[in-house]
Amino acid sequence: MIEINNLSFARGNSLIFKDISFSIKPGEVMVIQGPNGKGKTTLLLNIIQLLDPLNGDVRLNGQKIDSQTASDCFLYLGENHFAYDQMTLNQNIDYWLSIHNVEFTKEIINKSIKYLFGELNLDKKFYQLSFGQKKKLQLLLLMLVNKPIWILDDPFNGLDNNTIKKITTLLAKKIENKGSIIIASHQDLSIPHRKFKLT
Amino acid sequence: MINNFIRLLKNELSLMIKGSIFTFVLFCLLMIASSIFSLALRHISFDIEIPLAFLLIMIFFISLIKVEKVYASDFSEAKLQQYILSPFALEIIVFVKNIMIYLNLIFLFLIFSPFILIILNINLSYLISINLLLALSLLSIVFISSMTASITISRNNKLSITSVLTLPLFVPILIVSMAISNVIDFDTNKLYLFFLAYFLLNLAFSPLLTSFALKKLSV
Repeated sequence: MIEINNLSFARGNSLIFKDISFSIKPGEVMVIQGPNGKGKTTLLLNIIQLLDPLNGDVRLNGQKIDSQTASDCFLYLGENHFAYDQMTLNQNIDYWLSIHNVEFTKEIINKSIKYLFGELNLDKKFYQLSFGQKKKLQLLLLMLVNKPIWILDDPFNGLDNNTIKKITTLLAKKIENKGSIIIASHQDLSIPHRKFKLT
Repeated sequence: MINNFIRLLKNELSLMIKGSIFTFVLFCLLMIASSIFSLALRHISFDIEIPLAFLLIMIFFISLIKVEKVYASDFSEAKLQQYILSPFALEIIVFVKNIMIYLNLIFLFLIFSPFILIILNINLSYLISINLLLALSLLSIVFISSMTASITISRNNKLSITSVLTLPLFVPILIVSMAISNVIDFDTNKLYLFFLAYFLLNLAFSPLLTSFALKKLSV
């Protein structure tokens, strides 16, 4: 279970959010909503320990999260693309799977690619892809990197309806397997979820 | 884990090879700079120390530009977030990237060095000694440059002048290189050992400081 206790964060002299508390049990989805600039992304970065909070803490099963726990448990997909422009799709997939210490056979990787992309030339350079395709490449990690908690920042942005359905299916499967998901999104999910509004 | 580390090395190497054109351009600029240097000082006779000092300073700047270019693209915010959450420590990723930058620079330097030596009017009999000197000193230079680059590219650091704080670390390399060039035929094994020792010293704290600066200043 993830517990967020009285979390506050400030950037310079401006307070981004104050005294945020909620918890997420295994098998739950928490959708963080709020207007632009209210600190949704900052809250996610605080949860995964990429930013240090002003006050409060984040606990996983009662233990304070350190960098080792964060890298063992969290898969974070942010708004921006992380793939290398000069590499092909194939090379990017291989690179990021090696970074996440994941080893799969070509067959499994190709199946996952086919599920998300349909037919796609894997020898294309990353910069040749459209915004949606770039986003899909990141979301491919959801299928291949096995970590118990997914932290997703606006995962549906730029995706077509068909892909949104596929991603929602992936989220549903994750919940079935008792994983936890925290999503910052303006969109409503079609699977059972709780909401936390940042005001 | 070891298999994936080897895959990581392979991928980093291919990434670095793709970035070789930029290094090639930098070395072409070094040739032009060397030509201007030689032309400007054509009426003055001097020993090997002056062109060697010029060469070392230029190599330092080339290394700094190359490391900053690689770091600016490879440690952008989104990539850095993935690196921090990966099972490999950020220090290891920094180390691997530095070694790949070093290999890239030294490989191109070895190709360019005969031409540069001719332009700088240095006797070609010193070619192997100068290559050895540069190969050893460049290891430390790249690791010092990585500390400088990690501060320079940071988003949250308002004072990029702080990156200048790492520059004095380059001074011992320059001094010892000059000392080596003073000895006939560069025959000073003990001084060469200095570079190894200095590299080990850099190896001990540079990846730590670089990754600390990246984590604290760039996320």
